[in-house]
This record gives sequence, structure tokens and C-alpha cells, in this order.
Amino acid sequence: MSKRPGKAMRTFEAVLPALSIVAFVGIWELLVRLHGIAPIYLPAPSSIAVYLWRMTADGSMAFHLGATLLRIFVGFAVASAAGVLLGLAMGMSRTVARVADIWIAALYPLPKISLIPLLIIWLGTGELYKIMISAITAFFPVVISTYAGIRQADRGLIKAAQDLGADWRQIQLKVIIPAAIPSIFAGLQLGMGVTIILVVAAEMIGGSGRSGMGYLLISSGQVMETEKVFASLIVMAVMGAVIMKSQQWLDRRLAPWAVQDDGRL
Amino acid sequence: MDVVADEVSQVWGDDGPHPVVALDRFSHRFRSGKFSCLLGPSGCGKSTLVQIVGGLETATGGSVRIEDPARPGTAHPLGADSVMVWQNLNLFPWRSVIDNVAFGLEMRGLPRDERYEKARALIASVGLTGFEHHRPAQLSGGMRQRVALARALIMERPILLMDEPFAALDAQTKIVMQEELTRIFEATRKTILFVTHAIDEAILLGDEVVVMTARPGRIKDVIPIDLPRPRSLDLVNTKEFGALFDRTFHLIREEVTKAMQQQAAMAAGA
Repeated sequence: MSKRPGKAMRTFEAVLPALSIVAFVGIWELLVRLHGIAPIYLPAPSSIAVYLWRMTADGSMAFHLGATLLRIFVGFAVASAAGVLLGLAMGMSRTVARVADIWIAALYPLPKISLIPLLIIWLGTGELYKIMISAITAFFPVVISTYAGIRQADRGLIKAAQDLGADWRQIQLKVIIPAAIPSIFAGLQLGMGVTIILVVAAEMIGGSGRSGMGYLLISSGQVMETEKVFASLIVMAVMGAVIMKSQQWLDRRLAPWAVQDDGRL
Repeated sequence: MDVVADEVSQVWGDDGPHPVVALDRFSHRFRSGKFSCLLGPSGCGKSTLVQIVGGLETATGGSVRIEDPARPGTAHPLGADSVMVWQNLNLFPWRSVIDNVAFGLEMRGLPRDERYEKARALIASVGLTGFEHHRPAQLSGGMRQRVALARALIMERPILLMDEPFAALDAQTKIVMQEELTRIFEATRKTILFVTHAIDEAILLGDEVVVMTARPGRIKDVIPIDLPRPRSLDLVNTKEFGALFDRTFHLIREEVTKAMQQQAAMAAGA
């Protein structure tokens, strides 16, 4: 039997993560001020906050964030629709699975950024390029998890459904696909993660158009506006956390049976 | 419905180097409206047999016929007259209790209102009213077992196939479920094939106990159980029950020892 922590202790543990951030920022501020570090190397949190406020007030942050979010959601939508559909098709047809398997084996391990030169040649440096590079990357975890989920469907449940009079189509729709939902959701979470990474990367590398968090980051870095670089990084970290947490929340709402006791998928 | 097994054999991996004979020329007529218990050591093919009867496995030899005793010679297709209750229940974890129970009716294309009405009645009959919208994971083992039973009973099939349905339950819950099943059987007079490895359970529930040998599974003996119905757990303390238990126990002891030796040999060979 482990000793139950007291109430004060539990409250302390609950606020500890937030406290660690406050302490980190405090020490950072102190170090910069005491040692007089040049803002070009390491700006103080307070001056980053000022920049963050200005960029919010003049609408530039919202503009870049909005552009990035739009690309993320379009890329993710394309990747998840294509990935889930192909994964389901592979799960239902041995022929599709055999053909798709060799392509996935060859293309999945390929670093997707190595496709950037080709994509730029084919699609130019506009929106299509940024969406395609992120969609191609996110497609693989989604299709692989979907197919794995279908293949791992419990044989016992399939037999039980068959015994209760389900035909092939009903078994697919009412047993195998629902049984694969936890695995599909796990794939979609991985897919969302890489979509975010690749959209920002594409905005930084090779993309034309003066919009997006990646563009803001690299253009601020080029003119040594380090405060803006930090402000962009903070916004991106918050954006990532909000997207991932919302997705987890949505998954729990849609498939409560798939959630383990610790609340994770 | 009579279930007529005629020289049913099941060999696993018969195209490989080490074929395993699970069932060896099993022949028996399970009579309509009787509660038959299949008793035997692990691996004797009793689960395989009920799955063959349910049309969920194909026998490698012999045949199973489902016959209406009033009209002999007219065989029904396997699976059409039976429904299975599984050892690990196989409830659909994403479905609520009512949607699990109504699954078979949903597959038949019954409209939602109709199937819910029937499902509610079945849920009430197994004492789960108020839990219609719980998921299986939110129920206790005994309650899940009742859901599985209701899901099978709603099919209104004349043959009930039960593969060690109570094996995973704790002792008290098991007793309650045995009494419940006895009550259901005595009220409906379905043909029941009940797989178990518990001697007392087989005698308490069954009209006959088919004792099977260790692998390869054959019939060792068929013991008629002529204890009066309606039955209750008090039966366990009677002299007749004790005599039947002793007789069955001596038959099964040899086979269990043999099965253990086989398993030890397989473990040593592996």
C-alpha cells in the first residue's frame, strides 16, 4: 500500500508544471538583465512579450497564424481522407493490400523533405506545394495505422457477429471498422503532428508568398529580429499544443470506449 | 431440433508435418429440448465441436445435421437454428448494452424502435434494467455475462451453444448464473450444448453428460442425468448427485492425467 499524499501536497503537484514555467521565465529574465546580454542573442522575456503584443495588435501575427492553420487543416484533411480510405481498402481487399504494401514500404522511409525539389518543379512554390508536401507526409502514418487497425480486429468479435447473422458487408461496417477506430485515431494524431511540422518547413524552405509562421520565423531571423523569432516560436508551440490537445479531446468524445484508464488513447 | 454429429473429425494443420487431431470421429445425437453437457480435459476439441455445430468452423471429416425430430431426414443448414454464447463473451466494446443485445435484430434489418422494444424486454429478463446505455467495460463480469446471454436469447433460436460461458466468473456469480440458466432452460426447453470442464456444473445443469477423452477427442461415455426438474443448487447435497459425481470423476480423472502428460510432452518437445 502506498501512502496517499496529503491535500496540500496534491495541490502543489497540480500547479507544479505551471510553476516550472514561471520559474524558468523568471530566471531567464534575471540572467539577461544581470549580465546585460544583447537582445540579438537572447532577448529578455519581457521584451519578447512586448513584441508579441505589438504583432498581435497590428494583426500580423493573426495573419501568419491563420495562413499556417489553413494550410495545416487542408493538408491534414487531404492526408486523412486519402490515408483512411486506402487503409480501409487494403484491409478489405487482399489485392489492394499486396499492391499498396510495396509502395508504402518503398516510400514511407523516404524523408519527405527530399521530395521538395521535385514538388517545386511540378507544383511551383505556391499553396499547392505547401499542402502537398504536408499531406504526403501525413498520409503514411494514417494509412499504416488504419490498415493495422483493420488487420488486428478481434477474430472472436467477427465470429460472434457472423453467428448473430451479419453478412460480409455488415461485418466490415459494424465490426471491423469500429474495432479499428482506436488505431485510426492514433494514426490521425501522428498525421496531425507531421502535418504541422511539414507546413512550417515548407513555408521556410522554397515556398513563395509572404505568409505563414514559417515565413515569419525565417524572415525575422534573416534580419536578426530575435524578439520576433522567439515570439513566433512561442505562438507555434501554443498552436501545436492546442491542436494536439483538441484532437485528443475530440477522439475521447467520439470513441470513449477506446480510451484507456489513464485517459490516453 | 436434434443435433446429429456423425463421425465428426477435426484435424489442425493436416497439410503440415505435425497434424493435430482435435476431434476423432465424434458421433452423438443431441436430442431436442435436452440440456447436454460436454465435459473433458482442455484440448479435447469440445469447443471445436460446438463451433462446427454453429457453422463457424468446417469439420475436416464427417458431418453435423440439424434435424427436426418431427420430420426426420430434413436437414437444416448449420448456424441457422443455433446461437452461441462465448467463453470470452465477445461483446462489442463500442456498443451500449442495448445495442449489443439488439445486434442480431439490427443485422436482420429490424427498425430501431422494434429492436429496442425487444431488447428492453430481454434486458429486463436478465435483470439489467437501468443499464441499457452502459458500455460493457462499465459492467461487472456477471453483468457482462447476462448481456451475452440476452444477446443470444433475443435471436429466438431453438439451439443454444454455450462454450464454457461461466468459466471466468467468480464462484458466487457462477452459482447465480447457473440457477438463472436452469430457469431459462426449464421455461424455454431449448436444445442446449454446454461445454464445461467442471463436473459439478455438468451434473447440476445437464440432462446428460458427454464425457470426452483427451486429445484426440472421442466420446468416452455418455452419462444420463435423471435428476428431477426443476432443479436447484440443493441438489448438490443429495446422495444421487454424489454418486453421479463419483462416476463422472473416475471417468474424467484418467483423461485429465493423459492430457497433462500430452501437454508436458509437447512442452518438452517444443
